[in-house]
Amino acid sequence: MSLKILSKMLIAAACGAILTSGAVRADTIEEKAAVCSGCHGEKGVPVNAVTPIIWGQMEGYLYLELRDFKKGARKNEIMSGIASSLERDDMLALAAYFAAKPWPNLNQPSASDAVTKQAATANGSIGCTGCHLDKYQGTGSVPRLAGQNHDYLAKTLADFRSGERGNNPGMSSLASATSESDLAALETYLAGM
Amino acid sequence: MKFLGTPLALAAVLALSAPLASQAQEIKAATETKPSSKYGDMSVVTQDQLNRAATDSSNFLQTNGDYRQQRFYPNRQINASNVAKLRPAWIFQTEIKESLETSPIVVNGVMFVTTSFSQVYALDARTGEEMWHFTPKMGPITTFCCGPNNRGVAVSGNLVYMATLDSQLIALDAKTGKVVWKTEIADPEDGYSETMAPTVVKGKVLIGTNGGEYGIKGFVKAYDALTGKLVWTFNTVPDKSIGVWAEKDPTGRVLHRDIAAEKAQLAKTGDPSKTLGGGVWQNPAVDLDTNRIYFVVGNPSPDLDGAQRPGDNLYTDSLVSLDLDTGKYVCHFQYVPHDVWDLDAVSPPVITNVADKDGKPIKGILHAGKTGHVYVHDAKDCSLIRYSEAMVPQENMWVLPTKEGARMLPGANGGVEWSPIATNPSLGLAYAINLHQPMTYQVQSSAYPSGKLWLGGAFKVIPTEEQWGNVTAVDYNTGKIRWQVKTPQPMIGGILATAGGLVFTGEGNGEFKAYDAENGSVLWHFQAGAGVNAPPSSYAIEGKQYIVVGAGGNTQLDYKRGNSIIAFTVD
Ligand code: HEC
Ligand code: HEC
Repeated sequence: MSLKILSKMLIAAACGAILTSGAVRADTIEEKAAVCSGCHGEKGVPVNAVTPIIWGQMEGYLYLELRDFKKGARKNEIMSGIASSLERDDMLALAAYFAAKPWPNLNQPSASDAVTKQAATANGSIGCTGCHLDKYQGTGSVPRLAGQNHDYLAKTLADFRSGERGNNPGMSSLASATSESDLAALETYLAGM
Repeated sequence: MKFLGTPLALAAVLALSAPLASQAQEIKAATETKPSSKYGDMSVVTQDQLNRAATDSSNFLQTNGDYRQQRFYPNRQINASNVAKLRPAWIFQTEIKESLETSPIVVNGVMFVTTSFSQVYALDARTGEEMWHFTPKMGPITTFCCGPNNRGVAVSGNLVYMATLDSQLIALDAKTGKVVWKTEIADPEDGYSETMAPTVVKGKVLIGTNGGEYGIKGFVKAYDALTGKLVWTFNTVPDKSIGVWAEKDPTGRVLHRDIAAEKAQLAKTGDPSKTLGGGVWQNPAVDLDTNRIYFVVGNPSPDLDGAQRPGDNLYTDSLVSLDLDTGKYVCHFQYVPHDVWDLDAVSPPVITNVADKDGKPIKGILHAGKTGHVYVHDAKDCSLIRYSEAMVPQENMWVLPTKEGARMLPGANGGVEWSPIATNPSLGLAYAINLHQPMTYQVQSSAYPSGKLWLGGAFKVIPTEEQWGNVTAVDYNTGKIRWQVKTPQPMIGGILATAGGLVFTGEGNGEFKAYDAENGSVLWHFQAGAGVNAPPSSYAIEGKQYIVVGAGGNTQLDYKRGNSIIAFTVD
């Protein structure tokens, strides 16, 4: 997906012309997206436990993460390399592409009543759902957490706490202000939603 | 809402708003509107009508009732003697089940309400039937601090104005809900977003901004109401934001600032004004006599970490007055210099006549703070005349946030949150709804993250401590509390007083209540099934008065969500 194609679309649309480039666009984006599937999964099910689900994730959030990988605000050997070759329009297009996919079910076990209760109390104290919204569904630049890969959640929250993930100091502060045992409860609860 | 919209929708929208076709964002715009054929017909709202809103006993023309923001409705048909018979006239269910903070606006039988995610509905105010529904197509990036809320529209001429979560200002045709013009207020990728209702006065649309949790540079902007062209911008954080190195707040409490360290920081990094926050969450009050506006400015960024932002952080946590025509500064008053608790100024100010220090009546400004005080100012120079007794417990003020967390009351939501107050000018009372939510304040330093969440720490509710709320009537001529009623949960939403001797407000548990304005007795209540956390309005059609309120719960306090707009009347 390039700026050129986009602006052509714009011009075509503005003239009221019927767009025929739909198929061309799709091929381009699917080609780009194919690279991602190698790790994030053919059907959206990540190939390993520390790779996040990106199918059905929030569009704005996906874009911002790609942007942050590219500019180095979020560091990850794999993703920084991949993002470094992407232009803003590619990132936006990829974000839109993956956001439109259905969120896959990883069939992670539901949390026990005790863990669920601990997660609810921790949420009551910090107000996670004040941003991640009811049932942790996310919106805009705030990611969906419900049903995310358990080990990835654990890794990234630990990274927020240690500063290893430094692209959102707000989340770092909130993760640091939450005890490790509360975070563990939240991770189990969220994965099993 | 996806980036690659269908070609048809693209073409249709581009044709609709051709002058803006070059904006990439415009591709995503699509309006869903249905023609109106119902009762009531939006006639042109004149400036004269808007000026007289306070005495208009059939319409509800402005977010807070009138330009002075008194929230005192002049109709007395529903009153203390018959309110027990108040019944739902209709209930409208919106498509969005999420926080409702809308102040319904009513014009000649047509009601305008907004929902979370910046959607607008026009309803037949007599039956609750939908006339049109507008869903803005927003860009992928939206941010917020406290929920994807929207607090309503403004009306003028034949246009309806609203602002979106991705920071667009939009003018809609009141009859059809079609977009007439729109403009980007600021870049959402830098942390700007909108939840407030605009104010329209004398050909200008006034709007503030969210973003105090994202290191924005706050503002109030004025746009030409007909064209959407920017007229003036007032930066709520001036280039010189240092101030007077205040050591105490205006109530005399010591702020415990390390001024030597702040001065050293200033020498090192300079004035912090570029990323100092200072959002404006709520509508300005407009003084038509002097052509001035009065609004309050929110917290500095980052919320809890003062180390990086030396100085008083002007004009955060302040009342500010400007000239309406030019946007030029007139006066200000800061409530919490160098705030590190987010106990900022968010509830909209009210213009009303108050007793000065010698008991003489003068034009005053009221503001209810997160601190739990109602502040009373002289409108002329913004100076403080008095502040009320504390409406909620205050403990350990102003203990500094620590790494482990320091307990201080009130918690970071107040006191009085964004909830507008109401007044009854003949009783000289201001009605405020409060929270009691014990919290600890934690500090953690981090560099400016370019438009990302930047709190500088965390506020944590203490799960083992009891929380509650109250409705408080304050005599603003003395600062004394006249009456106070405790509620089982912290209160957020808003309140309306009426000439019928009543005060209406709702609770997170779904209760919507009418109180006796003089003594606080509960005269009526209704269970709405979802949190009633929005400001009520009132209006009349064919001589019959209604009370209307949204019951959508609240994201920030996690109150039960719903999707109802409920209108009540006495039959
Ligand atoms: C070689 C494996 C691999 C490939 C290929 C890959 N990713 Fe990733 N991706 C990862 C891993 C691992 C993470 C988690 C990084 C971390 O722990 O911070 C990640 C994280 C992400 C995130 C952040 C998600 C979140 O929830 O924060 C996004 C967005 C993303 N990848 C998008 C993509 C896109 C788009 C592509 C293709 C252009 C792609 N990835 C290709 C392995 C991969
Ligand atoms: C004030 C808003 C806010 C609150 C409160 C909040 N979050 Fe977040 N959270 C965010 C934002 C915004 C992001 C996106 C971070 C970024 O920009 O990379 C995020 C990201 C995350 C992520 C990373 C998801 C991913 O796919 O990589 C996790 C996990 C998370 N939050 C968990 C929590 C938990 C658990 C809580 C409560 C203890 C919480 N959050 C409270 C706003 C918030």
